[in-house]
Amino acid sequence: MMLQKMRRSLVLLFSLLLVSFAGWCGAAEKTPQSVQVTIRSILAANKSDEFDAKLKGMEQQLKSLKYRSYRSLKDESKTVPWQGTQSFEIPGGRTLTVSPQEFQDNRIALKVRLTEHDKPIVDTTVKIANKGNFILGGPPHEGGALVLSISASAP
Amino acid sequence: MSNCEIIRESIGSWLDGELSPGESDSVRAHVAGCGDCDEVRRQLEKLQMVLKEELAGKAARIEFMPFWREVQQRINQKRPWHEELRGWCRDFFTAPRIAWSVPAVIALVLALFSLDSYLPGWRFGGARNNFAAVDSIDAYGRSVALLRENESKTTVIWLYQDQEGENDAAEDATKSGPAF
Repeated sequence: MMLQKMRRSLVLLFSLLLVSFAGWCGAAEKTPQSVQVTIRSILAANKSDEFDAKLKGMEQQLKSLKYRSYRSLKDESKTVPWQGTQSFEIPGGRTLTVSPQEFQDNRIALKVRLTEHDKPIVDTTVKIANKGNFILGGPPHEGGALVLSISASAP
Repeated sequence: MSNCEIIRESIGSWLDGELSPGESDSVRAHVAGCGDCDEVRRQLEKLQMVLKEELAGKAARIEFMPFWREVQQRINQKRPWHEELRGWCRDFFTAPRIAWSVPAVIALVLALFSLDSYLPGWRFGGARNNFAAVDSIDAYGRSVALLRENESKTTVIWLYQDQEGENDAAEDATKSGPAF
């Protein structure tokens, strides 16, 4: 009788421990300390059919834009802490300010502001997949349009 | 269940010395003050005594040595692998093991659901939603087009001027509308 009681208590205790541990595992999403933000500035134009070899990895994404040529102008990567802000110099006297807001469900919320000579052009908040990107484009530049690939990666 | 019924269920264990000191004291105190339970104790003791005498008498006539030799031989005997496996399976699927496996399965299912936070990109073998979600956008009077391209799972925010003369430096492509 005693043995049975003890075994039942042990099973119950083990069950509670396992369920608590599993719950803890599920709830404890690893929140990284900072985010690696990469801005790639690209000039999209229709003057030639040139496709910059440096942009090979983005070919599929850029194909959705109906331009004939794509040239990489600048690549810049910076580590930004959560709720912190980093500015990136963009060709044409523009500045892109990026501020990572939160990390949830493996997605990164980014607050992005593009200014031109201190005049705001766009303010947006976008949630992207970790190690994913989105494209912000349109501002005129050197006879074409400026295309910015904004990506973020939380280790 | 009355107190006497509970005590009577424990009398056998008490006589066998299987109860804790506290439980033994409790049963002893009850039996001392309850005639009916004391009668049960007395009968059990009598039964035990009769059984003991009977078994002791029979045991004296039994030859135990061949039995122990057989037991030792079976302990030392090496069983084939399929019998080992059968034995392991029988042990594994007995009730206490199943009771332990229920919380283990719950833990496994929960761990499976939280796997994506440990192995980014993995989600039940299917494709992950790589589209960016635009929560808010303010283009300060400019027109904005939002494109979600399915093939490359790309989200594009495109700014353009559709009012003539607002930006003289702008090219036709950016004046007339989005470039997709």
